[in-house]
Amino acid sequence: MSTTPVPGLSRRHLLRFGGIAAAGAGLTACAGPGSTAAPEGSAAPSGGAGAAGATGALSFYHWRAEDQGVFDEVISSFVAANPGLTVSQTIDPSDQYQSTAAQRAREGDVGDVLPTFRGAQFEQFVDNGIYTDISDQAYLDNYVPALIESGARDGTQWGVPYQLVFNQPLVNVEALEAAGVSEIPKDWPAYLAMLEALRGAGYDPIAFPGADIGNAGQYISTMAMNTGPSDDMFTRVEAGELAATDDWWLQTLRQFQEMSAYFQPNSLGTQIDPAIALFAQGRAALLASGSYHVAAARQAGAEFPMDLAPPITSEPGELKYEGVYNATFVLGVNSASEQQEQANLFIEWLSDPENAAVYANGTSQHLTVDGVEYDNEDLAALQPWVTANTLLAPRFQFNNLDIRNAMENSLIAVVGGDSPEQAAEQAQGIINEQLGA
Amino acid sequence: MASSGAPATTGGKEPPVVAVAAGVQSQLPAAVKRRRRRGATRAPASLWLFLLPAASLYVAFFVIPTLQAFQYSVTSWDGLSSDFEYVGLDNFTNLATNDSIFRTAVVNNLEFMVTVVVLQTLLSLLLALALLKNTRTSVLLRAVFFFPTILSSVSVAFIFSFVYDPTFGLANTALQRIGLGSLAQPWLGDQNLAIYYIGLIQVWFHAGQMMVIYIAGLQAIPAELYESADVDGVSRWQRFRYITWPMSSTATAIVVAYTTIQSFKAFDLIFALTGGGPNNATEILSTLIYNTAFQNFQFGYAAAQSVIFIFVIGLITWAQRRAISRFQGEV
Repeated sequence: MSTTPVPGLSRRHLLRFGGIAAAGAGLTACAGPGSTAAPEGSAAPSGGAGAAGATGALSFYHWRAEDQGVFDEVISSFVAANPGLTVSQTIDPSDQYQSTAAQRAREGDVGDVLPTFRGAQFEQFVDNGIYTDISDQAYLDNYVPALIESGARDGTQWGVPYQLVFNQPLVNVEALEAAGVSEIPKDWPAYLAMLEALRGAGYDPIAFPGADIGNAGQYISTMAMNTGPSDDMFTRVEAGELAATDDWWLQTLRQFQEMSAYFQPNSLGTQIDPAIALFAQGRAALLASGSYHVAAARQAGAEFPMDLAPPITSEPGELKYEGVYNATFVLGVNSASEQQEQANLFIEWLSDPENAAVYANGTSQHLTVDGVEYDNEDLAALQPWVTANTLLAPRFQFNNLDIRNAMENSLIAVVGGDSPEQAAEQAQGIINEQLGA
Repeated sequence: MASSGAPATTGGKEPPVVAVAAGVQSQLPAAVKRRRRRGATRAPASLWLFLLPAASLYVAFFVIPTLQAFQYSVTSWDGLSSDFEYVGLDNFTNLATNDSIFRTAVVNNLEFMVTVVVLQTLLSLLLALALLKNTRTSVLLRAVFFFPTILSSVSVAFIFSFVYDPTFGLANTALQRIGLGSLAQPWLGDQNLAIYYIGLIQVWFHAGQMMVIYIAGLQAIPAELYESADVDGVSRWQRFRYITWPMSSTATAIVVAYTTIQSFKAFDLIFALTGGGPNNATEILSTLIYNTAFQNFQFGYAAAQSVIFIFVIGLITWAQRRAISRFQGEV
């Protein structure tokens, strides 16, 4: 069998094409995964920062893989306004980020701009000098002052908490209507009555992800917000001033055990995704997690309107807080970065209300930036919570995660059948060990 | 005709070469033998260079980190600071007297190990006995049972998170379908039994691999032994009890040792399935060390836990070797 040469495709041509392809691949590799360069012919948007002549390749290191596409969009406009700059995203899963971000940031190879979780990780970054002082940055004026306090310590602003989330259960408003509940209850008897009515209407009242302590543990904030002896209750637990065996925590455990009768069967074995599925399919009326799962519930097929229904543990007329919020994703500048000025330019861009709106509406998350226009329906529906009487989630007062786990595990233990006294004793035993360590 | 002093031959056949060599060797003066032995073990110095790449990797990634673990175990290093304090044996004292989570992790690890070693050894032996003959069906089934071994731990965790899910999972759904819905469980949410349920996953994961080791061991047993037993009219149980079981003791030793080490290294499976919860019920030493180092940033304390971990594994391995040597000695 003879072969017919392809006209014009000689070995020399092939080599030439190969060379061009290799060069292209090399250039693509140089751009790196997730990096965004200025699109040709794109004009700089009118709003926000733009420093003429700023050059460099910034690294934005974070854990929000689900936000990568929206960040790419924001970065594109930033790069268009700052043609000398590029920004690449390096994303680790949140667990891994908590474990390794500090070490990687210190080495300086990634993360000119990088966020922390509010609480223990933020404190760790400040303690180890990973964040630079951004107190004199003008973009701080773009934020609601009270919402960025958790990015400051001892009068110095080290980061800006960017996301505003509500760490309290989501509720299916159609289920409430079906159960004849017209408004979110404001006391404990009414809350239990709501759960009973939901059960009567054929729902599992609460989808509880008991096998996922990261989400199940969020209940610690709302269960304690009206029962705790002070707003800084968990700071005082860590200081040894309050104990898990105190009456306020025993009452919290009793109420939690009472409420657990309304969780789906065998709830301690349920991970977060099946819990979201139960909620999105309309089988469960509440989802025990937070507003950060609105988008996930929508992706899982939820088509009903949603609101938030935090458990109110106080007696009628004794309500102190309607719910909790958390200001997190604390953005800061890496002290090991050689491009700190450019890194601040990028944060300034994110702090602009117009650019922040792109991120907020694209990810269904409220932000701490003032003046953001939320055109996302879910965000608009939850907007009243932004001005509600809420407490900064006390869960993140813990800096010792063994102590936090001990407290949260006592909640899990009472769902598993331990008595509140037994669970509290066990928790306090671990806390005492930690305090004595 | 054989010369005097030569080894005796049998049936007029030529003596085996090895036997002749051994005979000649035995007649050499002792001084010559010593010289030959020294010569045999002496290698050119340049040959040591071939060891260098592997040895340097071993030293860099195993020996030095292990020694550093011992060094950090007596410090309060947080894993980030450039300096740290030496705290003597405080970390070890605290582990021994004031750390209930550590004790829970040790107990969980031992429960997990015993579950996995017993069930995995029995199951793999049964599978090997059932699939010993090299028929087409056996070969196919061996491949099927071996298949889980090639999966990654995280994939296995992902699969079983669906199996064990109380609402949508296979286990509870199957129970409900056969009218046993009242036996539905929270599975991995059960504080008392979760560690055993994970043990079952580990057995499913690695039994096929151990089956292969057993098959190799069983196929090496001389057929003559079974033929003699048949002539003596022994029962199937007696064949197993007096031939198969003792003759497969080397394979058993390998399976038990390997399974023990695997059960201590089940970090990724447990981490992906439960993260050590609920309420530390599935916390084992490796997950605890990880959490101490990378969640709480107590590297010094985690290093002390690692040192204990090394000794625990060393102790168990030593005890196993002794038990197995004694068993083989009896055989």
